[in-house]
Amino acid sequence: MAAAEAPDTQSSAIDFELWVTEKADALLRFAYVLTGDHQLAEDAVQDALTTACARWGRVSQADDPEAYVKRMVVNAHISWWRRFRRREAPAAEPTRTAAAAPDGTASRADAEAVWALCATLPDKQRAAVVLRFYEELSYAEIAQLLHCAEATARSHVHRALAVLKDTLSKEGAEDA
Amino acid sequence: MPEPDEHELGPQLADAFQSKAHTVQGLRDRGLAREARRRVHKRRQTLIAGSAAVVVAVAIGGVWSAIGGPSPVATSSSDSGSSAERGTSGADSKSAPGEPATTVGCPAQHPILTADGQEAAPSGLGIDLDTQVYGLEACRYGLVDSQQVLLGSATFNATTAQQVVDAIEVLPERNPSLPVFKCTPETARPKEAIVLRFDTATGIREVWVKYDGCASAGFVTGSRTYGLYAAPLKLFMKGGVRPVGGTYLDHLQGW
Repeated sequence: MAAAEAPDTQSSAIDFELWVTEKADALLRFAYVLTGDHQLAEDAVQDALTTACARWGRVSQADDPEAYVKRMVVNAHISWWRRFRRREAPAAEPTRTAAAAPDGTASRADAEAVWALCATLPDKQRAAVVLRFYEELSYAEIAQLLHCAEATARSHVHRALAVLKDTLSKEGAEDA
Repeated sequence: MPEPDEHELGPQLADAFQSKAHTVQGLRDRGLAREARRRVHKRRQTLIAGSAAVVVAVAIGGVWSAIGGPSPVATSSSDSGSSAERGTSGADSKSAPGEPATTVGCPAQHPILTADGQEAAPSGLGIDLDTQVYGLEACRYGLVDSQQVLLGSATFNATTAQQVVDAIEVLPERNPSLPVFKCTPETARPKEAIVLRFDTATGIREVWVKYDGCASAGFVTGSRTYGLYAAPLKLFMKGGVRPVGGTYLDHLQGW
């Protein structure tokens, strides 16, 4: 029996290795957008890949293994114990850290400002925003990923947008 | 359907995320698969070790249950295997007349103090002599109205306790060599008696030892009475539990 399983196991390991080589970059970029931090991104991806490796038979059979593993990354990031380890403490008042720039660099400055503001959002709100605008998922899919009701997912996104809009408009008025 | 805020900020957010995702540098994308496999291997090893520990613990627990009840070793730790020797020298004996009710094992207030009549027997606490025992506390009580107290006690280990049980179990209902007395109820009541409190899997179980008075003599379990013979008596009548004499003891040799 062991002799019969050995080739399958080896094949599965090679399969997993190839898949990771192909997808690691996308997973890490997604995790970076989700977490906003190099180290947290690498940790979340490594944890997700460890889980995926243990269940590779099932993961590889999924319709979209990449989406499956991204779900694991999200779960790893928003898990309560990981947040406890990070001692998450969102800033009370989001502040714009990038100054307004002259034309030509305005777009890049705005992106920096939005990115900086996103860093001040609570984990679930940030995850909802990333899943909505980076992964372009529907609210139903976001709700499934965040283990909440669709209305709650929608609320996460809208609260985050309200905060961002409010902060950006205040900063815009000050810049003017 | 996207709401106004989404229309306004959505493109900005998407642009910011895409921009950051494509310009980020320094993410370590090598060795992820190897590290994942290493962690899975380690987790499985931990799981197997944990499962093995649980299996061993359950197996030990099962064997322990099969053997039956509390540890003879643990029980004897409070009395020691050499209690017989200590009893002989009187060292195992603890208590004296008037000792407060803090004596471990022997309650100061015991039903035998108020039990009356020749049929007095442990009610509901009598031992089935086929039961395995793990220790013994012998308690000697004065039964005279003015002195109903614990006169002495001694603790014995599982081996001695089992020897006592085995020695009683083979005895006939009465010892025909002992005399039969005719006496008034006042004199029939014994001046003292011993309660043997055995530690068993179901708790403390007793044998009452009657050797004084003139109504009856022997080892009383509540369901049966065994004749008074020296063989069991000499195993536990040591130290403070050894009487000076008794109506029936005076006619018995070798105790």
